[in-house]
Amino acid sequence: MFRQLRSVTTTTFARGLATSAAKEPRLKKFEIYRWNPDTPETAPKMQTYDVDLNECGPMVLDALLKIKNEQDATLTFRRSCREGICGSCAMNIGGTNTLACLCKIDQNESKDLKVYPLPHMYVVRDLVPDLTHFYKQYKSIQPYLQTKEKPADGREHLQSIEDRAKLDGLYECILCACCSTSCPSYWWNQQEYLGPAVLMQAYRWLIDSRDQATAARKAMLQNSMSLYRCHTIMNCTRTCPKGLNPGKAIAEIKKILAFD
Amino acid sequence: MLSLNRSIGLNAMRSSNVIRPVFVRSFIKTIPQPPGHIVGDVNDAYVPPPPSKSHGSLHWTAERVVAVGMVPLAVAPLISGTSTLIDSTFSALLLYHVYAGFQSCIIDYIPKRVYGIYHKLVMYLLALGTGVAGYGVYQVETKEGGFAPIITKIFKA
Repeated sequence: MFRQLRSVTTTTFARGLATSAAKEPRLKKFEIYRWNPDTPETAPKMQTYDVDLNECGPMVLDALLKIKNEQDATLTFRRSCREGICGSCAMNIGGTNTLACLCKIDQNESKDLKVYPLPHMYVVRDLVPDLTHFYKQYKSIQPYLQTKEKPADGREHLQSIEDRAKLDGLYECILCACCSTSCPSYWWNQQEYLGPAVLMQAYRWLIDSRDQATAARKAMLQNSMSLYRCHTIMNCTRTCPKGLNPGKAIAEIKKILAFD
Repeated sequence: MLSLNRSIGLNAMRSSNVIRPVFVRSFIKTIPQPPGHIVGDVNDAYVPPPPSKSHGSLHWTAERVVAVGMVPLAVAPLISGTSTLIDSTFSALLLYHVYAGFQSCIIDYIPKRVYGIYHKLVMYLLALGTGVAGYGVYQVETKEGGFAPIITKIFKA
């Protein structure tokens, strides 16, 4: 009985070895943008890493973490939730702004994958862009409920199911800045143009049935720069990793303001 | 933040040199931009330009009304033949349409924020050009009987 058991374990062990030997490493090249603020005199460069796809998770973020853990600890990027709800790992992958955690690695090893930080933003280091101005813009639209009266029941501002449904497709935005940084208008004039992400939130507060600061919210957009630099290029909608439609939201704002 | 900006090379000189094209860098003096586009404190909200409906919604609505209005005027001569009224209205609307389009380009690519006086200069140049073109349109409409006959001639030739 004991001998039998031993022979079984030996066979399993041997089979395990055979399988791992049969699996050839599938090396895919990742070209990643590198820039170090400690050596500003060195120009940014693309650094190539080989990643074995057999040993790596399916998403680009898995590959980045694998590179950071095993090959180069100095590689810098933001990440947090690894499931597309925090918006930290927004970057330009294979020419498209998206979240690294929601972007599948193309399993074709012969094709290299290029990873850049979000385009046309100041780079803090490697894949980390400076989003300070983006957040300042978000702050400027006052993204919170503003009311003149106290709620009728003394406890909370009620909203009908229909009015609540208007906010669907708007409130889901995680402010990853993929859309804003894909917009050529935002590239040229981001200092004054608010960009699709922030404008979509402006629209979300404009149409909230509970909000009473609509006049001030509209007035803020009444100039040539804040809203009207949108030329319906629609890169925002094409790139949104959450499948939202900032382009439509901006068009709706323009309609609201048209005869204002 | 300031020290961070300095350490990552976000000083005004550098950032404006990165953005400006070669021609502009060598011949035109532009306004230096704040590091990282940050005006005031990092926690201050961005301050939009002062509200002006004539630059905002009214401008946008005028652009759309003119663009939509041009469609029937462009189709009408093909169906019912041309008249001076249709021809001159269409020419005037087209002139405004082109003017608004160029104006938008100037705001996009020669922004006041960076180019200051040059922005105004180019705007005046555009207004002048539009004025001259308007005078030309007037001449053609009064002396040569409008654009439709000219286009017809080109097609026949």
